[in-house]
Amino acid sequence: MAGLLSYLLRRILFAIPVFITVSIITFLATNASGNPVELVLLGIHNRTPETLAALNAEFHMGEPIYTRYFLWLSDFMHGNLGQSLYSGTVASKILPWTATTLELQIPALLLSFGIGVPLGVFSAKRQYSKSDVAVTTTAIFGISMPTFWLGIMAIIIFSLNLHWLPSFGAISAFPPYWWGSIPSDALAHLILPLSVLTLVSLATYVRLIRANMLDALRQDYVLGARASGLSDFNVTYKHALKNAITPVVTIVGLSFGSLLAGAPALETTFSWPGLGYEFVVAATSLDLPVVQAITMIITIMVLVANIGLDLVYALLDPRVRIS
Amino acid sequence: MQEEVLLPKHEAGSQRGAGQWAVAWRRFKRNRSGLAGLAMVGFFAVLAIYGLFLDPVPARSFACLYQGCSNLPPFTNWAHPLGTETSGIDVWQEIIHGSAGDLYVGIGATAIAIALGVLVGAVAGYRGGVAGALLLGVTQIFFTLPVLIFILLFARIGTLLVAQGLGLTLIVAILGLFGWSGIAFIVRGEIFRIRELEYVQASKSLGASQSRILFRHIVPNALSPIIVVSSLLVAGNILTEVVISFLGFSDPSASTWGLILEEGLQYVRTSWWVSFFPGLAIIFCVLGFNLLGDGLSDALNPRLRE
Amino acid sequence: MVRAVDGVNFTVEKGVPLGLVGESGSGKTVTALSALRVVPRPGKFAGGKIIFDGEDLLTKKESEMRKYRGRRIGYVSQDPNSSLDPLFTVGTQLSEVVQAHEKVPKERASERVLELLQRVRISEPEARMRAYPHELSGGMRQRIAIARALAGEPDLLIADEPTTNLDVTIQAQVLDLLKDLQRELGMTLILITHDMGIVAEMTQKVVVLYAGRVAEVASTRETFATPKHPYTSALLKAVPRVDRKKELVPIGGNIPNLITPPSGCRFHPRCRFMQEICVAKEPALDAIGGGRQVSCHRWKEITLEGTSS
Repeated sequence: MAGLLSYLLRRILFAIPVFITVSIITFLATNASGNPVELVLLGIHNRTPETLAALNAEFHMGEPIYTRYFLWLSDFMHGNLGQSLYSGTVASKILPWTATTLELQIPALLLSFGIGVPLGVFSAKRQYSKSDVAVTTTAIFGISMPTFWLGIMAIIIFSLNLHWLPSFGAISAFPPYWWGSIPSDALAHLILPLSVLTLVSLATYVRLIRANMLDALRQDYVLGARASGLSDFNVTYKHALKNAITPVVTIVGLSFGSLLAGAPALETTFSWPGLGYEFVVAATSLDLPVVQAITMIITIMVLVANIGLDLVYALLDPRVRIS
Repeated sequence: MQEEVLLPKHEAGSQRGAGQWAVAWRRFKRNRSGLAGLAMVGFFAVLAIYGLFLDPVPARSFACLYQGCSNLPPFTNWAHPLGTETSGIDVWQEIIHGSAGDLYVGIGATAIAIALGVLVGAVAGYRGGVAGALLLGVTQIFFTLPVLIFILLFARIGTLLVAQGLGLTLIVAILGLFGWSGIAFIVRGEIFRIRELEYVQASKSLGASQSRILFRHIVPNALSPIIVVSSLLVAGNILTEVVISFLGFSDPSASTWGLILEEGLQYVRTSWWVSFFPGLAIIFCVLGFNLLGDGLSDALNPRLRE
Repeated sequence: MVRAVDGVNFTVEKGVPLGLVGESGSGKTVTALSALRVVPRPGKFAGGKIIFDGEDLLTKKESEMRKYRGRRIGYVSQDPNSSLDPLFTVGTQLSEVVQAHEKVPKERASERVLELLQRVRISEPEARMRAYPHELSGGMRQRIAIARALAGEPDLLIADEPTTNLDVTIQAQVLDLLKDLQRELGMTLILITHDMGIVAEMTQKVVVLYAGRVAEVASTRETFATPKHPYTSALLKAVPRVDRKKELVPIGGNIPNLITPPSGCRFHPRCRFMQEICVAKEPALDAIGGGRQVSCHRWKEITLEGTSS
């Protein structure tokens, strides 16, 4: 248990330099021209002296660059995420955006993992059979596909031609609601983006689980367990599967990062008003405080997810705790 | 007294003389999906060369707007086999010109990532102490970051600030700068693994210099995992480029597949073909690199397969 | 198709420890795993028989085979680093094997695990039960692998290079343990090894395999004193001996590639007695009297040097 705690502590300590690096990169990106106000002004058409003064105050333009960085970081740590150039404080918006993103990402993660594991095991147990070839072929197409393109195809087929499901947004702004009520309306909006996201991340998990499972089934301990009389079922689903899944847990953490990072394109395709969509809107209109805040929030979410899943990994694999 | 018991009359294995690469190529030739991947990559390479040097139709030509052939559905006019956009742009021509752009981004960014990754990985593997630990930490940070968000951020701001003429080169640089961490881990891991092997120990005891060991033993051995990962990295870089262009964050004057998809989403209600065919091009090009990577992995690391 | 093992034919007598000898890649492990029908895919049986106690194991259904694995035939694999599942404690892994053999409640199973650990002479068995494999030494892990193989009280124990990856002092301890267990439990041992020294110490009968074929079968004493196959003789010369000042002679050439085995006698490319017939025709495994068998065209004509063990 002490090993586990110190492991957790080390993981949290590692998150600190990552967080600092991220804040520096984010700050540098938005200050790349030397003067963020000039950058922002590229996107603003009616420039009054008042807006200019407000912008200079917002970005602490009177200070040297490193002081600006610390002022910005300190604001961020105090929950002051800055002022959107177009629509009020960022802090008041970021929670609903995050919730909307997670409403899509978490079910997609659970579904793709839940379907991907049994499918990968199935495929590995029948290596080189017709069903295995079908699964692996589909999966390699899945990882070769831009998620948002599959989204566009889904919209063309299921929304525009068949009229079964809505093509944009997370809810209908006004009646008539899909399938009669507000909850069913939300569900109708969720189905297409969720299916697309699940299908594409499913492909990754199937390939990983299949490869790890094939590897595990070849290990000496599987041979030894079978030779000493354990049932094939027990050997496959207890020993081999646990060994195959354990390393995937950390990859779930990393892929949560890439899922979140993939959110801009997918959310834009479905006009899904989450962090990714708002990031694209803000970056396009050069609303820098929003861009900075979303970048930081996404990174924090990824770091937290990684620590959580590393903890799960350490619980599953006793060897991790000592190294 | 020594008695000669056994004379090696013939070489038992027949693989002597054929180098490691020839053996790998023989193995690769038997791998149908790997060959299919090579064929797909080759197809797009030919398309890219044709688009760059031979194609009489320039990229992003709006000619159809004036000739009355805009918004044609596919397979209706053989001058425009895959249809045209409302703006008059020919979808097939854009696929041709886009393959040059996307292969440039995919391969160029991978080349930068390999150079950086080998450098960082080699130094991190060889230097112990603070420098090694620091580089390892930096590698881990870049590995953990949701890099796509940063790539999008830099692409958007970079494209605005840097001269427009730079086109896709800016994207190549950004993707390369954020994409090296996996390669660095591989190189560092290989250095640790290979350093322990007997023949390196042997050449060390024979007094071979560090750099000789690095280039004679470690680099050739690390090459095969790097080649495999590079192929997969090209695939990933193309997908990322597609996202950047789709979101409108790259140079709008450069032809890429993502840019057509952006226009495709605008015309999604009227012209499905503007999204559909470029998407197929992306899938088969990325699939080609993925299959090639898997095939190379099987050919170069036969132990991974039974 | 790779014919890893082809035409291997030998008999194990009850109570007579047998050594299965050959260089790595000669098919020793595949032979042993075949007896348990746990050859990893894509390996399979093209034909042949494995008769155990009068019954052909290769015709058994998978469900019947489970009554043999562990209960009649035990198996200890080569590498103690990988023979135990890293993600479960020693106690869990042993007690699930115990429970696979006999339907007993959990407490009874852990008592049985304790007995097994004591039997393989593990100190502080209660503490070891809660340990994960990586927390134990290689020798300790190999004892636990032996304990797992003993859980079903098998009549036959196949030990596949049980000491190859261990330190020399630990090797001796594990071999002693195997010797004692044979006596205490009345098991028959098949010891797979490439080490003729271990063969001399542990076995009474030897089967020498070369490239998936039987080269020679004889009692251990005869094998060492008067080897009849050039390969056996070569193996004996490659054994280091403390008591004699004689140069070690490595065996020239490599183990042939089993995808394209040499024609005729598979050993001919490395054999100094090679003649035309050895290239042209594959020798049969001839019974040469006294229970000995050899597979060589020229065994009568040649004289080979042995060592007195």
